[in-house]
Amino acid sequence: MNRDGLATRDAIAGTVIDLQQVTKTYHAASGPFAALRNVTLQVRRGQMVAVTGKSGSGKSTLLNIISGIDHASSGTVLIAGASPPNMAENQLALWRGKTIGVVFQFFQLLPTLTVLENVMLPMEFCNTFPDQEKARRALALLERVGIRDQAGKLPVTLSGGQQQRAAIARALANDPPIIVADEPTGNLDSQTARSIFQLFQGLAASGKTILIVTHETEFSAMFETTVTLEDGQIVGIENAVNASREEVEA
Amino acid sequence: MKFRMRFMKVYRDLTANFSRSLMMASAIAIGVLSVGSILGAYAVLTREMARNYLGTNPADATLEIKGRGIDQHLVEQVKKADGVGGAERHATILGRMKIGGDWYPMLFFVVDRFDNMTTNRFTRISGAWPPPTGTMLVERTARTVMQSDEGGQVLVKSPHGQLRPLAISGVVHDPGLAPAWQEQEGYGYISLETLHELGESQGFDELRIRLTNHNSSPQEIEKVSRRVAELARSEGYEVEEVQIPPPRRHPHQSQMNAILLLFLVFSFLTLVLSAILVSTSLATVMTRQVREIGVMKTIGASSAQIAGLYFLTQVLLALVAVVVSMPLSRHTAALLIAKISTILNLEIFDPSIPGWVFGVEALAGLLIPLAAAAIPVWRGSRVSVREALDSYGVSTTRFGVGFLDRFISRLSFFFSRGFALALRNIFRQRWRLVMSLGLLAAGGALFMTALNVSKAWDVNLQKIYKYRHYDLEMRLSEPAESRDVISAIQSVRGVSAVEAWQRYPTAFVQDVPYDIVRVYPDKGHGSFVVLGVPRKTNFVDFPLLGGGWLSDSGGNEVVLNHTIRFQAPNLRVGDTVNLSIQGRPTQWKLVGFVEDIGSTGATAYVPAEALANLAGISPDTANMIRVALDDRGSDAVLRKTRDVEDVLGAHAHVSMALPMTLIRNAIAEHMSVLVSALLALSVLMALVGAFGLASTMSMNIMERTRELGVMRAIGATPAVIGRIVVIEGFAISAFSVVLAVAFAVGLSSFLGRLIGNMAFRTPLPLAFSSLGLGLWLLILIVGSAAATAIPARSAGKMTVREALAYL
Repeated sequence: MNRDGLATRDAIAGTVIDLQQVTKTYHAASGPFAALRNVTLQVRRGQMVAVTGKSGSGKSTLLNIISGIDHASSGTVLIAGASPPNMAENQLALWRGKTIGVVFQFFQLLPTLTVLENVMLPMEFCNTFPDQEKARRALALLERVGIRDQAGKLPVTLSGGQQQRAAIARALANDPPIIVADEPTGNLDSQTARSIFQLFQGLAASGKTILIVTHETEFSAMFETTVTLEDGQIVGIENAVNASREEVEA
Repeated sequence: MKFRMRFMKVYRDLTANFSRSLMMASAIAIGVLSVGSILGAYAVLTREMARNYLGTNPADATLEIKGRGIDQHLVEQVKKADGVGGAERHATILGRMKIGGDWYPMLFFVVDRFDNMTTNRFTRISGAWPPPTGTMLVERTARTVMQSDEGGQVLVKSPHGQLRPLAISGVVHDPGLAPAWQEQEGYGYISLETLHELGESQGFDELRIRLTNHNSSPQEIEKVSRRVAELARSEGYEVEEVQIPPPRRHPHQSQMNAILLLFLVFSFLTLVLSAILVSTSLATVMTRQVREIGVMKTIGASSAQIAGLYFLTQVLLALVAVVVSMPLSRHTAALLIAKISTILNLEIFDPSIPGWVFGVEALAGLLIPLAAAAIPVWRGSRVSVREALDSYGVSTTRFGVGFLDRFISRLSFFFSRGFALALRNIFRQRWRLVMSLGLLAAGGALFMTALNVSKAWDVNLQKIYKYRHYDLEMRLSEPAESRDVISAIQSVRGVSAVEAWQRYPTAFVQDVPYDIVRVYPDKGHGSFVVLGVPRKTNFVDFPLLGGGWLSDSGGNEVVLNHTIRFQAPNLRVGDTVNLSIQGRPTQWKLVGFVEDIGSTGATAYVPAEALANLAGISPDTANMIRVALDDRGSDAVLRKTRDVEDVLGAHAHVSMALPMTLIRNAIAEHMSVLVSALLALSVLMALVGAFGLASTMSMNIMERTRELGVMRAIGATPAVIGRIVVIEGFAISAFSVVLAVAFAVGLSSFLGRLIGNMAFRTPLPLAFSSLGLGLWLLILIVGSAAATAIPARSAGKMTVREALAYL
């Protein structure tokens, strides 16, 4: 592991997230504000990474830049070999739908679609599977997250944990290599949160790259790596396997 | 199904908020309904009017022959003339009828051969055909004025005959005539023998011709008519006048077209208004669903796919509206057709609405709402994922940055905290504010315009009394001694003043020894008369449109009314005007133009002495007496008309008694459909406007549910929240009224000009209906209170936790 990131040289060939000297500055009414400063980060395929830090440290901005929701002010961003800032809006939407699965804190299932339809929707938007395949795949995904029996229900009738499982199934709909989740358990009790993290663990084991913003320290052992942000900079990278921590130079 | 999911989302979004969807669809439906009704009526009425009128074989020209009656030999000669397709002799006599003590004009149409009519034909409805001698057929619309029907009789009097009963032997329909109840006169069809029985000795004095080419221009018709006139003259006939009405056009065709076109414009405006209303609602829905949009974009939806979803929403709403309103519009169009056809005396042979009307209706109903939705959908769907996901329901617009914000903040210092907050809230969503204000202002402007034009119409009708200081006009069939007539009428109690006038038909002098005029066979529509005005008359003081009124010199001066000015726009004050009067060419100096609402057509005012001198009329006689009464009430005028008739009978033959109230009613009846339809449209506008207000206000509150939750969390009571949102509603309404009044003034002026020129040949005055403003304010107050109170109440009832979780 180098001083700037997570992956060793050997692993660089399997890098799916590669950020180099990324800075993001917002221009607010009160003046410019740097949400990220010279962040360099590399994540390998199949890694499960926790991103932690205080409120306003830049965690969500980091996730937004990785998922193409936001663009860096400077630096280079390569996600699964592509550079999101160079894509047109519609191209970016399609790329994101196929490459990144996003899981939100408040689940954000579309309230007027059933759970099954919510899971099928990304496949329809990106036209990734034949029509007859979509429902079958969506049901399989719901089976995988353990809520197949809830497929025909509207989201409002599900518990928080079930809704988040549905959201994870939706994130997997187009079989993206990367899953990003912004405090996915922030709205759940600890038992449910544990089951959700276990689900993510299983996904990582199957080769998905997982990036999760979380404050839940009790589950840190479940992450292969934990990245800590402070004032827009990576101040620490902790590898649970090596139990080593390298301080990042300012 | 490829788009099943997207369709399901749209469908469930619509059904999830059924009342909102219902309101949106209803708004479009109202617009589509009005377009379909008016367009359907327009299509059927224009088709049927042409069919009715052309079905009568209207004469292309009528030659008025003076002296001896036309014999069949001339008719046969004319039929052989180059360019003539048919000829027929007729006579039209203006007599009178006495109904329940009141006198009314009575037009007798004398027909040569009832069984072989070739021009200006009418159709039998019931009774005898042809009418036996000593009886008459009556036009179906005349029965109400005559207060009699087939089998009954009416007291009639021809110009030279005595008052006598005439039996009604049958009823006919003559689509070439305006309804008798509208003109306040009777129409009877008689044989020449019956005319002689009535006391007239004349023969047929009209030669009606139809050209071989039925699509001839007025110039071609005039050319052939001149040839026929020369032929008649060569046969020893004295041709007095050649009447060439606008070819193939019903006397009321242009009015009807203009009215229906006007309504069509209004109805399309209603649809546009409804479409904007729905688009505003849609924009609000998109604002509320902004996080859903963000999520959909996150999972791969492009801006175009998002836009497609909301366009689909609009399409579904429009589709429902079109499906519901199309069958309804058939019925409303049928009602409108029935009403207007009665007013125009049309027989609707084929009430079917052509297919293209439904095509246009459906296309307009689908495309106009889509076009109106384009901008808000485009804006809403292009929101970036980050902006969408960052939306927490609390407005992210940066209030306080611009000059306007600072100004409002300073202004707010003078108000209570609640009012200040409401005021600032209004200006937070500028685009929405513009849409809301535009919607309400447009609705209000159209509503007030409809009532303004209606009032302007009434104000114009009142001019009949305002500038005419007499109440009764008596027309005599022959000139009578002015002095005798005046003193006789002055003896009637209640008569305050009497003036003796001259009235003769006239025409601009042509290069032929007869007049060429544009009058219709009813002698009313398109007529041109010259009036000899007594020196220093007190009876008229018409507003001047140019130049001045007649001087006291009694010289050869002429003042023309607005109708002539409209027909001959090249005439200027100072020009010499050559008028043919009583067959004599006369020359006059044009000194001015006046607006004389109440005249039946083109009128030239000249000094009575000069008229007598130039036209060879005795200066001591008059054929029109005008009478002013102490009591100007309509009942009193009608009563006094009888008294004046009684005393006048000893000195002259009265051909027509015209109380001013009768003229006013006749003009009012001509355009009653316009006024009532404008009022109906105003109700539609009010409905759409109220929808708009309800939608804008309730969406405004719903959108901020989360923010209201925050306010609750920091101590605001439901009452405080309710007060703030109700103030917002009132404030937006108040701003919109100011704009609406400004728009209404401009629009009323434009429409007043259009309708006035169409109906009176002069623009309607700009009138402002305080009733319209008052009603609109009431609609706004009630609407805004209702629209804001309900969501404010729900917002107030919502727990803080629910409000903050509200998406």
